[in-house]
Amino acid sequence: METESRKKALEYFFDKVVGPLGFKFTPDAELRDFLLEQEVTLEKKHGIPFCPCQPLRHDRARDMQIVCPCIPFHREYFDSMKRCWCGLFVHNDVTDPDSLPQVPAKDVRRD
Amino acid sequence: MKQVTLYTLSTCPWCRKAKKFFTDNKIPFTDIDYDLADEATQGKILKELDANGATGFPYAKIGNQVIVGYQPKRYATALKS
Repeated sequence: METESRKKALEYFFDKVVGPLGFKFTPDAELRDFLLEQEVTLEKKHGIPFCPCQPLRHDRARDMQIVCPCIPFHREYFDSMKRCWCGLFVHNDVTDPDSLPQVPAKDVRRD
Repeated sequence: MKQVTLYTLSTCPWCRKAKKFFTDNKIPFTDIDYDLADEATQGKILKELDANGATGFPYAKIGNQVIVGYQPKRYATALKS
């Protein structure tokens, strides 16, 4: 499978999933392209497009929680950060993704 | 100089930025790519992550401080403190 065509396919599918959750793709085109490429690489290796920035634990139940887009499994946490951990997705109202740091789950404010 | 250890993933852009931060600032560091490590090393890293409430990479140890995520300002502060 060609990497570029698979990236486009994942992009199309992910967009359908994250939109109703209040998220969109990051406006950072370079980051978006890089992350999608890593996901295609992970999919070729493991059969599943896992998050490129979270560890596979070789525990199926936990690993399924980092299948992209993993927003539904970490909804409250990612809503608080206004981004997902790897930054492929940001809240719909975000225009400057660089203003959103990665914050460990234990440090996130949940108002 | 404080000892710096990074746990990273070869697929993670933020991990690459973290490595670049320390390289650009000429700070020596040890780095382990979790996904390329053997099973025993992965187990040891996961235990550390879990003990510190970390769910993702990059994971930096600067002296006795742990910083989860790409946080250059916190890296700089930890290196100075």
